[in-house]
Amino acid sequence: MIEVERLSKSYGSTVAIQDLTFQVEPGEILGLLGPNGAGKTTTMRILAGYLPASSGTARVADYEVHADSMAVRQRIGYLPETPPLYPEMTVEGFLFFVARIKGVAAGDRAARIAAALERCNLTNQRRVMIRKLSKGFRQRVGLAQAIVHDPPVIILDEPTAGLDPRQIIDVRNLIKGLAGQHTIILSTHILPEVSMTCDRVTIIDRGEIVATDTPQNLMARTGHGYAVEIGGDPQRALEVLQSVPGVTQVEPRPMTAPGRHTFQLVTEGDDPGSAIATRLVQAGLDLFELGRNQASLEDVFINLTVQEQPLLPPEEPPAADVDPVNTAAQPESTEIPEPIEFPEPTELSESTDSEDLIAEEPTADE
Amino acid sequence: MNRARILLTNILAIYRRELQSYFFSPLAYLIAAVFWLIGGFFLVAILFSQGGLIAQVATAESMGAVPPIDLPYQFLQYYLDVLGALSLFVLPMLSMGLYADERKQGTLELLATSPVTNWAVALGKLLGVVTFYITMLLPLLLSEAIALSASEPPLDPAIMLMGHAGLVLLATSVLSLGMFVSSLTASTVLAAILTFGLVLLLWVIDAIGNGLPGAWGDAVGYLSLLTHYTDFVQGVFDSSGLILFLSYIVLGLFLTAQSIETLRFQRN
Repeated sequence: MIEVERLSKSYGSTVAIQDLTFQVEPGEILGLLGPNGAGKTTTMRILAGYLPASSGTARVADYEVHADSMAVRQRIGYLPETPPLYPEMTVEGFLFFVARIKGVAAGDRAARIAAALERCNLTNQRRVMIRKLSKGFRQRVGLAQAIVHDPPVIILDEPTAGLDPRQIIDVRNLIKGLAGQHTIILSTHILPEVSMTCDRVTIIDRGEIVATDTPQNLMARTGHGYAVEIGGDPQRALEVLQSVPGVTQVEPRPMTAPGRHTFQLVTEGDDPGSAIATRLVQAGLDLFELGRNQASLEDVFINLTVQEQPLLPPEEPPAADVDPVNTAAQPESTEIPEPIEFPEPTELSESTDSEDLIAEEPTADE
Repeated sequence: MNRARILLTNILAIYRRELQSYFFSPLAYLIAAVFWLIGGFFLVAILFSQGGLIAQVATAESMGAVPPIDLPYQFLQYYLDVLGALSLFVLPMLSMGLYADERKQGTLELLATSPVTNWAVALGKLLGVVTFYITMLLPLLLSEAIALSASEPPLDPAIMLMGHAGLVLLATSVLSLGMFVSSLTASTVLAAILTFGLVLLLWVIDAIGNGLPGAWGDAVGYLSLLTHYTDFVQGVFDSSGLILFLSYIVLGLFLTAQSIETLRFQRN
């Protein structure tokens, strides 16, 4: 439904995006994920026909976005970064205006608008002046504007930016509800957003694609880890853990209780969980806890866009301030395991400095 | 056929929205109020002040002036001159927000990604603002009609029609050019100032033309809004005046559509 091939755009000598290539299948939701300034908005604007590309092609519903601009415009709904609203209009009046300029037939307008209002939970606000609406409602009017003409392709630039947690959940559900009949591409710098709403994620950084995959695969790619709590000789425990096939890194953590030692494991390949338990027990060590911690998308993101580190300290991933659903997961995921190479187990270390990360994390995009 | 209907729907949608925005804008009411106040003041001053027309005519007649003075015609000329000059100040304020506001609100992004051509948007907007200007004129026209209805013999309706057609043509030309200026900037204040400067230049350009020698001077002088407006007000139909006004209107529309199109290429 959307085909982007070697798309580049530069403003003067500044390169905004370079050689982007990706597809969005019909009915799919693709998330365009990247830090601020990565080129997300530029990409969206090119797809919507608002900006011409410097080179490369973008096709929406089999029409080239620049050459067949009118044909594309008839088939897209577009929510720009700032919702395009006329403050002096009522919600309903505005949607009627949009329906008219988007070419909705006169007989269908009332029904389409009622449906859009219903979908965006705006029915009670239909007669309210847009000027008087709060940010969250305005964002919803922006969404209603993008779907009022029932377009096959919907382009959403940061659809949840600036919303409160409840509204974010509403908007996500709304977007998920649109999938299937509509092809959706949305951009965000909020990580949980893509894992919750998108079928596939394209991560872009500094105008280039660093990865495209399902959120699950991306997380799997970074590898899984385990946390184990063991009673007994820590040196022996370390040796045993290192001997388990599939365990690539073992990292001692501070003691939780007298005589109990905690280790963070990074594993790969077939799930070595049961092997870890078996080996530990066979070695005569006490196993108190064995818990699996899945790599979060934050890890993937930071892994892939590690050059951004100085700008995005790991203590504050961009998502940290928004999502209550994920707050529970936050502390775990922000604590990036420090890899310790196998041959030389070192002392306990608490440092999670970004510099360390840059020095030690393998960079995936180089 | 179907295409034409869609186009008409689009223009009408833009037109209605634009017109509505004036009726919801406090600034537009303020502009209208000042326009009415000054226009009404001049209406009274032209007719009834000490040096006003009625007093002048009375003096002239008492001295046995021959031929008698056509008072309604004189009044209409003075009054339309005043309205024309007054409009020069008011029109840039009406046109300043046409595109600058769209840019500021980000709604230009909506229009530019909707299946509407740039010139349909421009035309709808121009019609909207011209309608608002005509609405602004109505109370003044009403008082003018009351004043003229007292004249005996009545004024030739053709002359009245010509004068007011001239005023609307003048206003549409200025608004069309003002719309283009507004499409160049996101600042309404800047748009108003630039438009006012441009209009002032076109108003007095015949004076500049007189200073230039030969054909150049004539050509420049021909561009003057004032000369052609005066022709209309005097009831002299001059097709070159009509053509000039229409040219300004079309030029404004064309440049607006072009500037919005160009904007897509240089935006950053």
